[in-house]
Amino acid sequence: MKNTLRQVFHSSKFLVGFIIFALILLTVWLYPLLINPGNPLEMIGVGTFAKPGTYVSLYDAVNTRTETLRLPDADDKRVAYLLSDADRVAMIEWFGIMDIDVSELDATDTDALLDLWFENYDPAIKPKGMTQARRNFFKRLDKSIRQIRSADTLKVMHPEEDELVERSSITKTDYVNVGDVANVKLLPLGTDNFGRDVLKELVSATGTSIVIGLIAGVVATLIGLTLGLLAGYVGGLVDDVIMFITNIFTVIPSFVLLILISYSIGQEQRGASVVALVIGFTSWTWTARSVRSQVISLRNRDHVNLSKLSGHSLVRIIVTDILPYIASYVVMAFILQVSSGILSEAQLSLLGLGPKTTVTPTLGLMMNWAMLYSAHTNGSWWAYFPVILTITLISFSLNLMNTGLDQVFNPTLRD
Amino acid sequence: MKKIIALLLALIMLVALGATAYADNDVSELPREETLYFAGQQWGTVLSWNIMGTNQNNSMAIAGGPSGYRTLMFETLFMYNFMNGDIIGLLGDSYEWNDDLTEVSVVLKDAAKWCDGTPVTAEDVVKTWDVSVEIGNTAGTTYGAYIDSIEATGEKTFIIHSKLDAEGRPVNPLKVTDFLTGSPIAQAAWIDKLVERNGGDAVSILNDPGEDVVWSGPYTKYYSDDQKVVLIRDDNYWGQDASMWGKLPVPKYIAHTIYADNPAGELALKAGEVDVCQQFIGNVQDLWLKDGLPISTYYEEAPYGVCLTMPTAWYNMNLPVLAENAALRKAIAIAVDYDTIIANAMTNQSPSFADVPRSLMNPTDGEQALYNHDAVADLQWAGNDIEGAIAMLDEAGLVDTDGDGWREYNGEKISLNAVCPNGWTDWQASMEVVAAAGDKIGVEITTLYPEWDIYQTVFTNPNQTEYAIFMWSPEAASPSNPWTRVNQFLGKDYVGVENNWSGNWGQYVNEEADALIKQIPLTTDEEALKDLYTQLTEIYLTEVPSFSLMYRPSLFHAVNESVWTNFPAGDDGREIPPADCTDGYGIAALYELELVG
Repeated sequence: MKNTLRQVFHSSKFLVGFIIFALILLTVWLYPLLINPGNPLEMIGVGTFAKPGTYVSLYDAVNTRTETLRLPDADDKRVAYLLSDADRVAMIEWFGIMDIDVSELDATDTDALLDLWFENYDPAIKPKGMTQARRNFFKRLDKSIRQIRSADTLKVMHPEEDELVERSSITKTDYVNVGDVANVKLLPLGTDNFGRDVLKELVSATGTSIVIGLIAGVVATLIGLTLGLLAGYVGGLVDDVIMFITNIFTVIPSFVLLILISYSIGQEQRGASVVALVIGFTSWTWTARSVRSQVISLRNRDHVNLSKLSGHSLVRIIVTDILPYIASYVVMAFILQVSSGILSEAQLSLLGLGPKTTVTPTLGLMMNWAMLYSAHTNGSWWAYFPVILTITLISFSLNLMNTGLDQVFNPTLRD
Repeated sequence: MKKIIALLLALIMLVALGATAYADNDVSELPREETLYFAGQQWGTVLSWNIMGTNQNNSMAIAGGPSGYRTLMFETLFMYNFMNGDIIGLLGDSYEWNDDLTEVSVVLKDAAKWCDGTPVTAEDVVKTWDVSVEIGNTAGTTYGAYIDSIEATGEKTFIIHSKLDAEGRPVNPLKVTDFLTGSPIAQAAWIDKLVERNGGDAVSILNDPGEDVVWSGPYTKYYSDDQKVVLIRDDNYWGQDASMWGKLPVPKYIAHTIYADNPAGELALKAGEVDVCQQFIGNVQDLWLKDGLPISTYYEEAPYGVCLTMPTAWYNMNLPVLAENAALRKAIAIAVDYDTIIANAMTNQSPSFADVPRSLMNPTDGEQALYNHDAVADLQWAGNDIEGAIAMLDEAGLVDTDGDGWREYNGEKISLNAVCPNGWTDWQASMEVVAAAGDKIGVEITTLYPEWDIYQTVFTNPNQTEYAIFMWSPEAASPSNPWTRVNQFLGKDYVGVENNWSGNWGQYVNEEADALIKQIPLTTDEEALKDLYTQLTEIYLTEVPSFSLMYRPSLFHAVNESVWTNFPAGDDGREIPPADCTDGYGIAALYELELVG
């Protein structure tokens, strides 16, 4: 056993896969414990899809002690933020509509541009042929331009008994240290459509999905192993009956079966563990078939015949004389079952047939909601891409471990 | 041999394809500059053009929209404008109530004509009504309880007699006004033909495809299959007479591609393949702020549209735990975080409950003025009041006795589900928020999203006990609102009605409220009316038989101005409602559209 393990860990493929998987498991265990405890389904954001980044409380920032920094490019940056090059072109377009000679005007001269704008723009003007969308665009542009020309100092007022009392004033050169602000929230992966912290949800969902995969894998492997052993060793009528059932299950595409069963169970009963069981019950067939063929090649070996002659029971022969020879194969099959169980959950949930929502997050459900809220078309990549990446990593690591094991145990592949 | 068969099969398929493509008008290349494209109205293939029938699934031609009838092909007597409550003449020229509101006399427009050139007469109206009642189509069943009969008094004049109650008072004059704006008129001669060819059998009349139907509106059918529906302008339309519009509507074709789902329609709008989109688009402002597309909505700022209704979570009173515990109903309602719902599910396309406090009214100024805000201010809630809800439940004795973290009632764990149809994303998100509130106050609420065909049979069943909290929207705007909506919330007319699409889906019964509701249609004094509505709001907010989750437009109205412009907008001073250029007075927009550039 010790020797086998050493051999297994000598395989670089297995080792890489194992390390990735272990890191994922470690993150699932430690992240909520140490870094970000609390309910992963808590809706912290009011609104959909806040993008990843560090969020600084504006309210607290106003109250934080400031330092004065005179940065040479601060003004340019501010203007560039409020007035893009495309905006400058649009302003000149407006002057054109108003029949103003702009041949002398330098589009990069912000002051001249702004002066001309304030002289000539009036939101009430409705130029003929201009669309509502375009007029709205100019209104927004005007608002933005007005901010460039706003005073150097902003005042924060505080309502007190029907009058506003000045609480503080902010100048363009005031800076606060982010470390000093009372409330700063890091959202490395932003929020999802419900305003949930995606990273926190992802970690929790990964845990659930791995559990689903494990349950599905155990169930599928147990059923497949039992039936395969019986069919292969006992043979005869038992073999015929079991293979008949197995073949029926093989010809029906298991995913269709999965959809039908999930649908008929109804959403109310579909918890994460029920979904895992359903996946397990529909994916055992190929384990059964390959175990059977392995057993058939084993059952006439000398040591098995010896056991038979010694009058050992069926169970004992299977457990002590056959199982150890196919154990390595079963472990590999189990790993693949876990991997495909996780994928099946994701596929099912994407179709809206996964575990019921609100209770636990799973990787599939996260993708399902992201898709329902068109995250893929509105550019909110953080709501679905990390999920896809996680699923890929899990199945990649499991498959890598499987290949590594294969190399160790399969004599034809051994170096 | 096999090859020959395969070849033959391929040939047959090709011929068949060709045959279907040339079977009707060619619509593969409609001139873009003459066509107004829609999305979000027609789902699935058109079943019939029979204006007297049912289940036509013909949204462009036959649809009683929630904010006015769609008058592209068939016309109503009057048009409703929900922006100001005006009732504007269409086939009808004027109407007048008598003093005790038992009858209304209507004069038809002289110019009004059918597509075959014959005038629209009082006889058409009478025939439409009589046959509607006889065969029980939508008009007949909707207004049958309120209209006794329609009597022609001349070629162009007729009187509508209200149904009277035992004391000789009209049952509901408001609903009769609804009939004027909400029910299309069909031609008597065509109805005769229809009845005759179906041997007078109600069921077959209702299901007649009506291919030969006679219309009076500015558009008529041109093409329809499972891909698109196209209407073409009728250049002989009577409405170009100076007494009506004085001109023809601008687009020659009205086309609606049949999209698979909302995202497909949204993509088409972004690509400029759709001009008017009646679909909820999350974060609609991103279309112009981020993507810089020439798309606009009625208002430039949130809530972007005119909210006329409020999707509501109804408590199922067939469940004793809900029926017997007003405290539980109110506690859940005040614990729900509505700001999250409005920001998430509606992406802020709704005023908040802090802006427009909850009542029985929609957020329009007209309805808001109908009740005394101060009198019920103490009863209202803005939501997310977890402590208040917990205190309320503790006080009512609904506590956790066995220490499992969930509260019990009569020794049993309170376990409710929150239900809405699968795929109705914004409603699903709302139900998730409701469930999250339950979690915080120790009441187990799990979400459930059955498919639509299952959902609709369960929630319209008056005896159902499967759904505890479920969603549906009350009426939006019509001349009879807010009365109709109040009746849906609190009235007992619909309690126990099988296949109930009309109202009070939670089966809540309150005799006091019902008596007040019955008084409203006959009350004309404004102060008395306000008093009645205030009392009803008080009952509603105390008893909480249901709670609204957000405000919502009855029609979404996002327009892409790549081809067409001059759509109605909030700041253009025209007061054309954002009703997709099709419904009620919203159709006026079609006459004022312009091509870009």
